[in-house]
Order: sequence, then structure tokens, then C-alpha cells
Amino acid sequence: MHPRYVLKRTGQMVLTFFVTVTFTFALYQAMPGGPAEAMRAMILAESGQVGGSVNLDLLNQMVEHYANVNPDKPLHVQYYNYLHSLLIQGDMGTSIYQGEPVLDLILQSVPWTMFIGVYALALGYTVSLFLGAVMAYKERSLFDSVASIGVIFLNSVPYYIFAIILVYVLGIEYSVFPINGRYGTFVDPGFTLEYMSSVVRHATLPVVSMGILATGGALTMRGNAIRVLGDDYVRVAELRGLRRSRVAMQYVGRNSVLPLYTQFMIGIAGVLSSTVVVEEIFAYNGMGKLLYDAVLLHDYPVLMGTLLVFTTITLLAIYIADLTYGYIDPRISTGDSNE
Amino acid sequence: MTDDVAIEIRDLAVTFGVDRGESNVVRNVDLDVYREETLGIVGESGSGKSMVALSLLDAVPEPGTVSGEVTYYPEDGDPISVLDLDPEELRRFRWEQVAMVFQGAMTSFNPVMSIRDHFRETLQDHGYDVPAGMERGKEILEQLYLDPDRVLDSHPHELSGGMQQRTLIALSLLLEPEVLLLDEPTAALDLLMQRSIIDLLRGIRETFDLTLVFITHDLPLLTKIADRMAVMYAFDFVEITETDQLLYHSAHPYTRALLSTTPDLTTPPDEIRTIEGNKPDPVEYISGCSYHPRCPMAEEKCHSIEPELMTVETEHEASCHYHAEVPETVPIRNNPRGVADE
Repeated sequence: MHPRYVLKRTGQMVLTFFVTVTFTFALYQAMPGGPAEAMRAMILAESGQVGGSVNLDLLNQMVEHYANVNPDKPLHVQYYNYLHSLLIQGDMGTSIYQGEPVLDLILQSVPWTMFIGVYALALGYTVSLFLGAVMAYKERSLFDSVASIGVIFLNSVPYYIFAIILVYVLGIEYSVFPINGRYGTFVDPGFTLEYMSSVVRHATLPVVSMGILATGGALTMRGNAIRVLGDDYVRVAELRGLRRSRVAMQYVGRNSVLPLYTQFMIGIAGVLSSTVVVEEIFAYNGMGKLLYDAVLLHDYPVLMGTLLVFTTITLLAIYIADLTYGYIDPRISTGDSNE
Repeated sequence: MTDDVAIEIRDLAVTFGVDRGESNVVRNVDLDVYREETLGIVGESGSGKSMVALSLLDAVPEPGTVSGEVTYYPEDGDPISVLDLDPEELRRFRWEQVAMVFQGAMTSFNPVMSIRDHFRETLQDHGYDVPAGMERGKEILEQLYLDPDRVLDSHPHELSGGMQQRTLIALSLLLEPEVLLLDEPTAALDLLMQRSIIDLLRGIRETFDLTLVFITHDLPLLTKIADRMAVMYAFDFVEITETDQLLYHSAHPYTRALLSTTPDLTTPPDEIRTIEGNKPDPVEYISGCSYHPRCPMAEEKCHSIEPELMTVETEHEASCHYHAEVPETVPIRNNPRGVADE
């Protein structure tokens, strides 16, 4: 791989990250009424209820403690302090409502969101790749038409509608799967079979609802596979007497999945954003629910922290996709056309 | 060259169902390919040449249907009826007995796999010994003036057009087939590269005792390598004979018109000739001789009676009712070898 290309992509990623951080900071300042202002008013109101007098310096300190922003300092100083505490100290502020550091809250919920997110992506894309490939092989058959209509339907109806239907049918009517929480109330966390199976059972419905989001790839896969099936090298491979399985995997499969790879990595962002609604529907305590609740409670530090993490994960996914694409498609990395 | 037959084609027909009816792209063709000869099949685009070649491997693309008989006679062993093989037998037959080099080698390789993987998988899927086969592959590549290690380590896009074409030829010889079909193998190459490919083919033909079937619309090129030629017009062969006989004593008006239109490097563009009339349509049925709408000699008989291939001399057949009069009536205006003799 070209070192200059890596350098360029890394630079782009870092730049994007800083733009995001700056944007997050600007949001702090620009939100209606201003979050710092709002926080100040909130603390004032609370202390007013208790009846104590308010020290203005103390108030500003409290606001800075919670939000990492001191409203009385000049903007550039605030910006510098915000960056400094975020990047050097890893401090994202403190949740107004839960009183815990935002970083701790995020670290507690990230694994759960990754868990259902990764499985939803894996499930959704595996199904769509297979479905798309079969549709392409049986182009214009009844199966192709029915599956196309099905996939278009699944993608036209918002995934959260399916989530609600799943909750109603499988959760409430038939009680096949639990409908809220990350694991059963009476199950002790640990490396026990009971705990594991409880985790998997609780994750099933959220994963399926989010997986539906990824089935749109089936139509793209179908299109790619039909195009590749018409390519000369597939015909030559057949004339070369290669095994059908090899032609299907190495020739048709690999070449039709290639263009989907980037889409898959960007899809991580889509799945992450869908966790916001899905986790709320299933009362699943992950990043998505953390963000959703933060919006409702005006818990700005948490909101900003989760937004930052979502952005970072998306940026990393695209970065990794760009850097690894050359290994999957040798035509990319060896050419000097990246300049 | 021995005169025993390697491939025998009888009554071969390829049809496609299309909206306006049935498209007959090969019409009841008979042809013998002799062992260790180089047979050139020449004809204009869309005359059915490639379909004949694909039929030899039972590889006519869907939804085309093939009928008739294709019998392959191995050097040792029983004759094989190619069109009756089951899928697994057909898979083994392809490339082990009859291999094919396509036009456009650039698109014949899997773009995401190295050349080495192409060679290796071919050996594996045919149950050949891989290390021994790879050694053989390297030798063949060397004979084609390629650096084996460099080529094997490359990906297809890293090779030039000529190198890809030679690599594909090497790959086609990997399993030691007896027959090699070449479908416009020089189409995308420049003149110098065409010439060097022809020279290489001449060389490997001797080394590997190959039977070559060379398909092209480039008549002057074919004269440099073919022992015999079969001229195709309107989805059937109209004349089959030895190369010199065809060039100097052709007995079919179409062949003679084709020879006359062959330009060479000194032909000014405004003097390039064409054959009058339109090329035949595979869906429409032409009664009588398929060439009669364009033939200067067409008579009453040509409109109604379809001529079969008739013997002109030994090893010379032409499908023309008036083949005896053709040489005097239709002159050949060019040096038929084109640039070949210069």
C-alpha cells in the first residue's frame, strides 16, 4: 500500500474528527437557550428549591464540572479547555442526572450496543448476500420476483415498525422472546450457560429488527451478481472446467461482494443510529438508549459524549474500509491512481 | 500430419428463441477436424463461427439449444459424444481434452486473483498433481517468452495485453489438451503482437502435437498459420479446403468476393471494397442458396434449391451449384495472401 495514501487518509480522518469535536462544542454554545445556560438555570432552580444562596463562582465551577465548559471564559479558551480535557484527560464531563462521568456511562453501555449491532449487521448482510446471489442465479424466476418484492417491502417499512410488530407478536402474544432488558432480572451475570442464553434471548428481537435494515443489500448484491455472471472470466472459468462451487464463490461471489464492502462498513453507521430507536423500544441499556434518554432529559454532557462516540466509530469504520480495500481488490492498492 | 479425425461434427444446429421467432445461428453444419492440423474458420461477424466453437465444448450460452452430433476421438480411448456428456464428465472434458482461448484475454482472468492462483485452481479442480503441474506451467510460460515467476506473482491487470494473451495460451496448455480452440485470439492486439502470437502458436503446435482450430474474420492472418480453411457464410460452411487451394482456386463466389475485399497496408481507404448487399439475418429463412441475394452469378436454380457441399476436387468442397464456372466468372482482385508474402 502507498504510504502517501495511508498518510492522506489518516489526515482526512483526524481532520474529520476535529471538525466533529468542534461541531459538538459549537452545539453546546448554540443550542436553543444554550445548554450551559440551561444547566446553569437548572442548578439555580434546584438550589433555589433547597433555599440556599448561590455563589456565582461556585455555579460556574459546577457548570464547568458537568459540561466541561466554563461559560464566563472567552470562547477560544473554552474551546481549548474542552479539547484539552476531552483528548488529554479523556474527560467527557459528568452526567447531570446520574452524576457519573459520561465516559463511565459510555464504557458500560458500548459493549452491549456493539454486541447487538455486530450481530444485526452480520445477520442482515449474510442473509442479503445469500438472498441476492440466489436471486441473481435464478434471475426472472418466480423466486426472484417474490424475493425482490419482499426485500423492497422490508426496506420501505421503517424497521421500528417491525420492532413493534415483533414485540407484539413474538413477545406479547406468544411470549417466545423477552421484550425488554439485556438479560433476565433473576439471572446473575457470569460465565454461566443460563446467563449466556438469557443474553442471547434478550438480544434476539433487537437484532432481528435491526438486521431487517441491512437486507437492502440483497438488491445491490443481486444487481452485482447478475453483472458478474455476464462477465467473460466467469464463462472462461466454466470452460476451464472449474468446479461449480469454486466458480460461485471465487468468481461470482467475490467479485460481486467487492463493491458492497464499503457499503457494509458505512452500514455500521446506519446500524448504530438505528440502535437509538431499537434500544428504546426494547428497553435495552446500550449506547442508543443512553443517547435517547439524554435527549429527553436534556442531559447535554451525555448527549455530546455519545454523539462523539458514534461519530468516532463511523469514522473508524470508513477509515478501515478504505485502508483494507486494497487487500480485497488488488487492483486498488498497486495502482498509483490513488494520488 | 495424419488424416485421422480428431473431432467430427454432424448436422450441428444452434438455435435461440427470440421475440420474432427462431434464430438459427448455426444451420446443420458438418465438419471434420483432422488430428494435428490447424483448421482456420473464417467468416464475417455474426456468421456463426464462435457458436460452432462453443458447441465443441457444449458451452453455447443459455437459452440457446444445440442439436446434432459432436464426436471427439481421443488419441487413445473410445470416442466421446460431447453433447451427451453429463455435467461432471463435461467439466473434466473441458480443458483436459479441448481447451479454448478467447478473444479478449484481458477479461478472461478473475481480476482479484493472481495468475498463480488461476494455474493452481485449474490443476486442483482437474485432480492433477499441483507441484508437477506448476513446473509444467512455468516451462510453458518460458516457451512463450514470459518470465514465469514474475507472471505468476502478478495480478491480471499488471500484465500488458500481449502478455495476458500469452499467459492465457499457457494456461490453456496446462492440462495438455489435444485440441486448442482459438476464438479471435489476436483481436485486441496490435499488428506486431498479432504476428508474434502467430509465430508462438506455430511453435507450440509442433512442441505439443496440438490440433488447432483458429477462428477469425482476419483472412490474411489466417493464411499464415492454417493448413485448411473453412469459410462460413450465413451460419453454414460454404467452402472447405486447403489454404493454398482456397486462395488460388476457390470455387465459391462468396469466398472469392471475400478475398477480393481483403485490404492490405498499401490499399488507400477509398479503394477498400465491400461485398454488395446486406448480411443474412438468422431469423429469416432464405430459400435456395443463402448467398443468392448477393451473388453476381445467381440463376433460377439458386433461388429455389439449396446447394449442399459438393466435391470440387479431392479435399475441396464448395456449396455452389455452379462451382465449376466460378473461377472464370468471379475474379479475385487482390494478391490473396495480403501482406503475408511481403
